[in-house]
Amino acid sequence: MKRLKWPILVLSGAIAALAQQPQQANPDSPVVKDFSRRVADYVKLHKTAVSEIHRLKPTNSPAAIAHYEHQLAQRIRAARRDVVQGNVFTPAIEEEFRRLIGIAMQGPDAARIRESLRSAAPVQFRAIRVNGDYPAGLPLESTPPSLLLNLPKLPPEVDFRVVGHDLALRDVDANLIVDLMANAIR
Amino acid sequence: MRRAILLLFAILASLVSAETPELRLPLKANSVRFAVIGDSGTGEPAQYETAAEMAAVHDRFPFEFAIMLGDNIYGGKSPADFKRKFEDPYKPLLDAGVKFFASLGNHDQTNERLYKPFNMDGKRYYNFKRGNAEFFALDSNYMDREQLDWLQSQLSGSRAAWKICYFHHPLYSDARAHGPDYDLRKLLEPVFQAHGVTVVFAGHEHVYERLQPRNGISYFVLGNSGQLRYHDLRPSAEMAEGFDTDRTFGLVEIAASQFYFQVISRTGETVDSGVLELTQ
Repeated sequence: MKRLKWPILVLSGAIAALAQQPQQANPDSPVVKDFSRRVADYVKLHKTAVSEIHRLKPTNSPAAIAHYEHQLAQRIRAARRDVVQGNVFTPAIEEEFRRLIGIAMQGPDAARIRESLRSAAPVQFRAIRVNGDYPAGLPLESTPPSLLLNLPKLPPEVDFRVVGHDLALRDVDANLIVDLMANAIR
Repeated sequence: MRRAILLLFAILASLVSAETPELRLPLKANSVRFAVIGDSGTGEPAQYETAAEMAAVHDRFPFEFAIMLGDNIYGGKSPADFKRKFEDPYKPLLDAGVKFFASLGNHDQTNERLYKPFNMDGKRYYNFKRGNAEFFALDSNYMDREQLDWLQSQLSGSRAAWKICYFHHPLYSDARAHGPDYDLRKLLEPVFQAHGVTVVFAGHEHVYERLQPRNGISYFVLGNSGQLRYHDLRPSAEMAEGFDTDRTFGLVEIAASQFYFQVISRTGETVDSGVLELTQ
């Protein structure tokens, strides 16, 4: 019996460590695959818009940066004229995201994540909408890393942004809201 | 009209520097010299006065570059904002060839990475070397898996004696307004420790604070080069030095295994200084 003591301890330690790990999005699950496909479709559209106006290289001109952002957003907006909220965050994807966010927000890291959100200077602004700009001058609330690591990976063209209690999928270069999930962070 | 008044103010401020601080930096040959500013981009008179003090000190301590700890451009991001909140206040330094290396704060827009004078080369996070030091500018607004992997790989491949990380949100802070970012700390601190990071700079809190070294890492918070949150510090045992009654900027000189620092206020008062020794 004595011989079994160490393996049991090691195993129980490993189980405890696994329990501490946040449960990350499974990239092979059909819902996450659907999310990734929708994001990939969006990125394709983004790249087409970029190719029409040429990618901006670093410049001394803030006017050129603003112009590039505006032109890019305009083209994307025109190409997605009829888009509605839920174009990426479908009900099934939204449900999976709520589950993943819930794991982070209610798990052992919850207090730390909430502290992180508080220290990030929460944004109180309700008027963002799909296909609209992320408002100029409105601070970007940082996304707690533990929360971020739980969500599916994104290509560099887009990022997740916490806006108050909402979660936005944002086009980084165009500064445009691709989709929005209301009351995602509770 | 407002711009003309600010410009006039900048000129007057550069002519009438309140105090000439005694330099506590050794000015050794071949040392790495740089300045540190955080939460600077307000475009208000206090930013101009602090910048004028920096320019005055630059004559005697010719630092080659400045690192920016985020919130480089508050509020609007129009060309006029870039001029009023960055180009005009730091014009004497820019004209003298000082390069600014920015990191992004929560009040910055991600596309500031495309603004050449911030030397980010279009990247949210990046690194650069000077002498025996390597600098890692991080985007603490968005610490995703890609950035973490990049940081680990760059740090593990770095042979620099001094590995210096800087970003916006502090891992440690005794300021009341925000407090430390515990979630970021949990992720970054083990990486810093594992790869021999020696100094970390952050902003976000509109005060100056130097914390007691933790596991061989010295943490500085400097978020008052434009903004100020008066009397916001709530000193704890972790605080080595703090200053929350005026704006500041930092000066650093790295000479072999010594890291000399001096923090100077808008009015030219030295609020902190010292030397860190490389132990490894």
